[in-house]
Amino acid sequence: MIRFVLADLRRLWAVSLVIVLLVALATALGVAVTLQERALRLGSARAADKFDLIVGAPGSETQLVLSSVFLQPAALPLMPGEVLTKLAADPRVAWAAPIGFGDNFQGFPIVGTTTALVSGTTAGFTEGRMFALEGEAVVGSGVDLPLGAEVKPMHGAAGEGGETHADSTYTVVGKVQPTGTAWDRAILVPIQAVWHIHGLGEEHEDEAHEAEEHHDEAGEEEHHHHGRIDADAPLVEDFDHDVPGLPAVLVKPKTIADAYKLRQEYRADGATRAIFPAEVLTSLYATLGDARTVLMYVAYGAQALVAAALMLIAVIHVAQRRRQIGALRAFGAPRLAVFGIVWLELLLLVAIGVGAGFGVGYGAAEFMAGLFTAQSGVRLPVEFTAADGVLAVTFLIVAALMAALPAALAYRQSPVEALRG
Amino acid sequence: MLPLALSGLAISFAGLAEPVLTIDRLTLPAGGRLAVTGASGSGKSTFVNLVSGLERPDSGVIRWQDTDITTLSESRRDRWRAANVGLVMQDFHLFAGLAAVDNVLLPARLAHAATAEVKARALALLSRVGLPRPGQSVETMSRGEMQRVAVARALLRRPGVIIADEPTASLDAEAGAEVGRLLIELAEQEGATLIVISHDERLTERLDRRIRLAAGRIVADTAPEASS
Repeated sequence: MIRFVLADLRRLWAVSLVIVLLVALATALGVAVTLQERALRLGSARAADKFDLIVGAPGSETQLVLSSVFLQPAALPLMPGEVLTKLAADPRVAWAAPIGFGDNFQGFPIVGTTTALVSGTTAGFTEGRMFALEGEAVVGSGVDLPLGAEVKPMHGAAGEGGETHADSTYTVVGKVQPTGTAWDRAILVPIQAVWHIHGLGEEHEDEAHEAEEHHDEAGEEEHHHHGRIDADAPLVEDFDHDVPGLPAVLVKPKTIADAYKLRQEYRADGATRAIFPAEVLTSLYATLGDARTVLMYVAYGAQALVAAALMLIAVIHVAQRRRQIGALRAFGAPRLAVFGIVWLELLLLVAIGVGAGFGVGYGAAEFMAGLFTAQSGVRLPVEFTAADGVLAVTFLIVAALMAALPAALAYRQSPVEALRG
Repeated sequence: MLPLALSGLAISFAGLAEPVLTIDRLTLPAGGRLAVTGASGSGKSTFVNLVSGLERPDSGVIRWQDTDITTLSESRRDRWRAANVGLVMQDFHLFAGLAAVDNVLLPARLAHAATAEVKARALALLSRVGLPRPGQSVETMSRGEMQRVAVARALLRRPGVIIADEPTASLDAEAGAEVGRLLIELAEQEGATLIVISHDERLTERLDRRIRLAAGRIVADTAPEASS
């Protein structure tokens, strides 16, 4: 029977191809949506993995996560620098590092931070070493700059009327291992350099005033505050006095209990807020899940349409094959064999389509994930789970049931009438 | 080798006042050779459908040896036909994309009756009908060759009766003569009763007995009394 079915499908290759394509596309749509949503969830969770606790000024928690974990450019309100001083000295804190953003170079965000954060969030260097002077920079694995390259920070985004800090230049001295996070696209520099470029810190300005101004004017920082870096100045990372206002501090608590206590403490005092990025992401996933649900309904709709189209094709197909089916019966093929042939042919086509659809869906999800990674640096793991297997089996069961209808038509068809036609 | 006995046979189609076929009595001994002739619409095809069990009459008995096939269910008629009737039709009804030998074996395979012996017989039959390449795909064959494949297929399961419906009508004279000769020779060799519906006189005149149908009735019979 299989041989006959295969010969038949070869003979009807055009129709078969159309059926396979229809099924494949409808399947691919659902598979791509599922895989992509899962990849986004896994990828963002992994990206936030190293970010235990973030302390920032009061404002949107989501924005704080997006800006610090995903380095999405946005104007964050600043909190007083003493927060960092206090955190750094807290016995419950393993390390606390400032995250200062705002500048970029060739589209890569420049993040001012400390050696503690670089060592704490990466797995070491693929080449070069940690920055040791104010004018040195370490780049993420996704930053296309060689060691020794010069980085001229630009304020605001290029193409949006950004302005270069013409007289300040960093030298790339190290490249860190890939982390699969947005930080792979970051250029990491000493926080003190960022402060100096923007005329903060050493000038002993009024921090409260500074913080307030940043708070109000957000990203469009005042041009008259520009300073320059002192490229050969040694690193100072004690943060025990005169720390300028900061958008965010990444805190590595010693224990989980410490993490909860710290969050409680820095959430309560009104001047700051403390968040677990993982928790904020969970609420984002709920939104993502809603979007997925909508897209899945679209996919279900497409699948239902394809199923209906297939039924139509199958019924017409059986009608067109009346003579052939009638002849089979006349020559002594049992009715069940006729049922089996029609059923098997359809099921085989749908199975091939579903298989191809999973392949195409996977490919599409991988492709989209690749685009996303290229743009954001966050690596999205596109992977199948057992649930997808269940989905595939469900498709096949539905197809098996649906194929039974035209097969039953063929089964019931009288061979005489078929041959007379 | 099956003897046939028909009696009180009548069949009508919805919407037609006159019965399509009425045969009071017709018998054919085992191993008999019957030609059925008549104009189109005379009931020839209905005759084939009835005696091969493809169709059930409104009334009457169609007894092949001890089996009255009018009493069988559709599935049992299918099984009976598969085991006892070798059909050859005007349009061959070969299945494109399959080799000659696979076409010969297809009905047996679908009925799970393709044993090693049956497969060997398929090859022997193809060679007997003059087709030396059993692996040849049927769509590359001439019409005469195709009909010879169909003849081999009809004989595969050693049927007790071979029923051929216009076997030569779509062939040229030479190929038709060859197919006619094969049918008669093989029916004899295999000891099968042979019923040929045809208006090809060169074929029908070689058969022992000829009946002619007109308007659903037997209007001429070369041996009206001998049969009963």
